[in-house]
Amino acid sequence: MILLSILAAGCASNVAVETPTIPTPNVEKLPMDVAVRIPAEFEHFVHEEKVLGRETWTIDLGSANASFFEQLFGFMFDNVIMLGPDDNALDFTFDALIEPQIEGFEFSVPNQTKTDAFAVWIRYRLQIFDSVGNSASTWTVSAYGKSQKEGLGGSKSLQRAAVLAMRDAAALILLQMDKATKIGALADGPLVLSDIESPASASADSEFKPAVPAGIFAIGGIDDDT
Amino acid sequence: MTIRNSSLLIPLSFALGGCITASVENNREETTGLQAGETVVVMAKSYHQGNETEADYISCVEKALGSGSGKLNVIPGQNFVDNLFPWFEPRTAPADTKGLAALMSKPGVPAAVKRMGVRYVVWLDGGTERVTQGGSLSCAAGPGGGGCFGFAWWQDDADYEASIWDLADSEAAGTVTADYSGTSFLPALVVPIPLIARTQSKACNGLAKQLKTFLSSTEKV
Repeated sequence: MILLSILAAGCASNVAVETPTIPTPNVEKLPMDVAVRIPAEFEHFVHEEKVLGRETWTIDLGSANASFFEQLFGFMFDNVIMLGPDDNALDFTFDALIEPQIEGFEFSVPNQTKTDAFAVWIRYRLQIFDSVGNSASTWTVSAYGKSQKEGLGGSKSLQRAAVLAMRDAAALILLQMDKATKIGALADGPLVLSDIESPASASADSEFKPAVPAGIFAIGGIDDDT
Repeated sequence: MTIRNSSLLIPLSFALGGCITASVENNREETTGLQAGETVVVMAKSYHQGNETEADYISCVEKALGSGSGKLNVIPGQNFVDNLFPWFEPRTAPADTKGLAALMSKPGVPAAVKRMGVRYVVWLDGGTERVTQGGSLSCAAGPGGGGCFGFAWWQDDADYEASIWDLADSEAAGTVTADYSGTSFLPALVVPIPLIARTQSKACNGLAKQLKTFLSSTEKV
């Protein structure tokens, strides 16, 4: 019985990701007030996947993502207000509201890639609204982290790969977000009417009445001039 | 008697080791040399570009450069990357010295480099891999004892390249390459006698020794 339970435990690996610490970046802050609305899924994001014919991996990002974005945006903007999923954004004053989401999470283990490395890919989607709730832009950030296998289990290596992927996202967001989303322009006021398209196609589940993106859409990646 | 023989075999096998062939070369593009207070940082080339250099190899080179005769002032790579965040992340680090010149004009970057006293960045690329193996070895154990019989061997190749960037004038100073090939043997007649070639470790020490000479030398180009 004991042997069976040991064998069963050997077929499942649980990884709890701790909040990565982002070093103070060498970039200038954008002079604006930003609200960050953290969706409820962020607090409870768990990715579970059975690697074909092998063990099941459960990766719990927990509150790591929320804390990560709080740190990151604190370094990027003069003032940051953190909103909970139930907060009404209209009760707060800000120049722009950012709503991050996890659009995808993938990983690979050494058995799959025939290398000694664990790799993690996280795809974040940042939706940006102006101060009155018009959707200003949507930006998808694809981040990648890789860590060599250490020890027998690999949980620590996978955890490190996830943290490196989050740090990779941080670097990209710090250097490219303003260029990709023009969020800095919202410090001068909300979008003008001509920049906003028909509200008919606005996201139905948004509480902040977003219009469709104002033609600003960029995929993650870094420009040559950075 | 058996115990005495085994205890003799173990140090003997370590003393013998496998056989290794080595080639270390350097290509100088610029005059180097280190002034007092100047430091060196060792980094792995980005895994975003497919580099597979092992973390323990980077640590080994860092340690070997910072110790022994002619030791250099080496600052830990992670410390350097953190101090220059987000400019030396795997995604954002400059791929060549053209990008380095642009990076040195970014706000906060020259000050951080000066604060750490970093003069040279050594980018490591390459890895150690098993290229071939053969033989067979089997072990068995029973109530009367156990033992192994057979012969196994394998060959590891360690190929590394270190590209040296001079941060003082944002130029490439040159490259040092280390190509090591080691064959290990494991004969077993009751007791296995490992004759291990420490290929990666030798490649680490060989590259570090050459890097020390390269960086400290004031030889003109």
